[in-house]
Amino acid sequence: MSIPDKLKDILLQVAKPARYVGGEYNLPNMDKPCKERVCLCFCDKYEVGMSNVGTRILYHMLNDTDGVVCERSYAPDLDMAALLKANGLPLFSVETKKDVKEFDLVGFSVQFELQFTNIVYMLDLMGVEYFAKDRGEDIPPIVAGGPCVVNPMPFADFFDAVLIGEGEKNLAELVELHIACREKKMSKKQFLLEASKLDGVYVPAIHNKTKRAVVADLDNAYYPTKILVPNCDIVHDRSSIELFRGCANGCRFCQAGFYYRPIRKRNVDTLQRQACELMDCTGYDEMGLLSLSTSDYPQLKELVDGIKIEADKRKVNLALPSLRLDSFEAEIYEEMQGASLTFAPEAGTQRLRDVINKNVSDADILSSLTGALKYGVKNVKLYFIMGLPTETEEDLQGIVDIVQLVKRLHKEVGSSKLLNITVSTSIFIPKPLTPFQWERQISIDEMYDKQKFMREKLRIKNVKYSWHDAKSSLIEAVLARGDKSIAKSIVKAYELGCVFDSWSENFDYDKWIAAFEQSGVNYQKFLDGFDEEEELPWDIIDNGVSKKYLLGERRKAYNAQCTPNCLKKCNGCGANKLGRCKI
Amino acid sequence: MIVLKHLKEGDVSYVSHKDILRVLQRGLKRAKIDVKYSQGYVPHMLTYTSTPVPLGVRSAAEYFAIDCADRDKDDVLKRYNAAMPNGMRATAAFCCEKNPNLAGIVIASDYVATGAEPLAKEIEDICGRESYVIDTVKKGEKVKKDIARLVFGLRVDGNTLYMRLACGNENLRADSFVEHINEKFGCKIKINDIVRTAQFAMKDGKMTDVEEILK
Repeated sequence: MSIPDKLKDILLQVAKPARYVGGEYNLPNMDKPCKERVCLCFCDKYEVGMSNVGTRILYHMLNDTDGVVCERSYAPDLDMAALLKANGLPLFSVETKKDVKEFDLVGFSVQFELQFTNIVYMLDLMGVEYFAKDRGEDIPPIVAGGPCVVNPMPFADFFDAVLIGEGEKNLAELVELHIACREKKMSKKQFLLEASKLDGVYVPAIHNKTKRAVVADLDNAYYPTKILVPNCDIVHDRSSIELFRGCANGCRFCQAGFYYRPIRKRNVDTLQRQACELMDCTGYDEMGLLSLSTSDYPQLKELVDGIKIEADKRKVNLALPSLRLDSFEAEIYEEMQGASLTFAPEAGTQRLRDVINKNVSDADILSSLTGALKYGVKNVKLYFIMGLPTETEEDLQGIVDIVQLVKRLHKEVGSSKLLNITVSTSIFIPKPLTPFQWERQISIDEMYDKQKFMREKLRIKNVKYSWHDAKSSLIEAVLARGDKSIAKSIVKAYELGCVFDSWSENFDYDKWIAAFEQSGVNYQKFLDGFDEEEELPWDIIDNGVSKKYLLGERRKAYNAQCTPNCLKKCNGCGANKLGRCKI
Repeated sequence: MIVLKHLKEGDVSYVSHKDILRVLQRGLKRAKIDVKYSQGYVPHMLTYTSTPVPLGVRSAAEYFAIDCADRDKDDVLKRYNAAMPNGMRATAAFCCEKNPNLAGIVIASDYVATGAEPLAKEIEDICGRESYVIDTVKKGEKVKKDIARLVFGLRVDGNTLYMRLACGNENLRADSFVEHINEKFGCKIKINDIVRTAQFAMKDGKMTDVEEILK
């Protein structure tokens, strides 16, 4: 019996079967003549994977390439996985229900450290060996990409190759190379040797030095507008345009801010054209204007005004995430007609904000909040990070002071509306490729103490406090900073039952600790600080920003010295060797 | 008001009714059909559907009413079909003066279910009894339900079972009924092999195909 026939028997036994059947609007032609069939696997559920803009770009880019067909596979939920195993079915693609291991090339998107066990979960469902070295020539090359490749070491050995950087460049080149190698009847090993010569392709078996691949001209880079529109509800159920890539702010805790450099933008005309095409091709009610810091887009007002005219005609709402406090424009906010506002001051005091280079002053906070409250905001969400280097109790008290300030301002502007304030704190994790990469991760007890302090201090009327789980932050830190030895702990954790760790109901700290112990890995060494002279697990990857620059930033952090926004002056981080900043 | 008769076929048969409503409304936006919106604080499209088929059951007779300014039903049909995913194709369009309130007037549906093997003729005997109790699931709990007056017609022809079951305010789910038949008569009909072929409402004291009423 074929996979589609067998699926008929099990689809009605699982929750949300629409996740597994595809049939979305704008589905590319799966029957075109092709030389290469690629399957892109996403290490989380359909509703998360379908929301991911990066995978969306690569999926459509490959399908728009002559001779290439690309399909998708998502991590099936646990109920589906159990039925697949019980019925002897392998992991299959959504479009044609084909066995994933029968594709010519398989790509995994790894978005988040707590998805690492899902890599093993999906390899297990595919019915292949977990480690690339144990897989024979009959299994296609399985490669990985996504934001976690900043430090691919913990999961690199599961893959034949890891694509470092932007897939529009290195995935396209890899597929082209694979077609050529297959035509020449080259072995997988020979293909991987050739692949290691490409920019942004790290082959774990060779352990080659790799420079991150970057799209030089973002304005002319591929961006799909005839995108898949899912038939069921997904996490971010909207279309989106990408204003620019990279970030000019240089916040010292932010991995994305350093990783996505150099800064490259799309032009207003390009974005307006893409926005109109997306609205017409999808029928979505909402469109997101994406970037790491939307208000840094130089012609934001012009862009929003232009798109808004078209959006209003089509009854489409615009969503502008990632606005910064210092450049908050009440005018834009008024046009957005939002009743809720999210601010991320990240730290409670000016001193600590200087340490982390969050160039937001107390005066900015005051003026932005006053503006927002005047426009009748009913909900204010405030995001902070706890456990930052040099943090003291005074800094935590600063968070409480900001909350009190919002309440006072609300009274002063004389709004009759009730104001709800939500304060969320996450735990700082010193991530690779940031000036804080050498720092130690604070312990669970320290995390608990800080959260307790906040809980007690934020017992204020109409203030809701939520905090990020301490235990999962600790595991995330190990997985983000680990070396190749971690791979066996990931396999062990999966064998002990860890899967979908990023879903809080599934996360099991005790199993993770048991996995580290049983696999003989001293996880504590990845939580303690690294020496500046020590070679870091991710040093073999050249992400653009130089280690020297990061060290300089670390020194400045300890002196609470700010580095200006890259739009004001070039700070010489080194990323320009990958391509020029253009904004 | 334009009413479309559409399919729910293939992959789309596994999409829940709540999700189908969103699929339909996005389709209308893509088709640029000038749909009217409610006048409330959060305006929503004025569209109406008839009683949905259970998840997994296919259909050749779903109805979808659109309160819109467009009056050319053939043009709406064409644009709608160009803007919908596979499996949701419309097969007919009707112009109505006002909302036909399909969810309120429909009382029965015809279904065709095909098994892999010939079906027992005794299945037909369920119809016409004074009482016939089956086990069904209501809000997650197993309950007993007397379905005698909810079965209007049954006919077996080889591997195929033709059913006319109550649908609407008084409803007998085709999937529950077929599951009962599978259990009682040892049949192996898959839920995805059930197809709704028509919906019926009362007109002039007679059970009439909705399509006839809309014409």
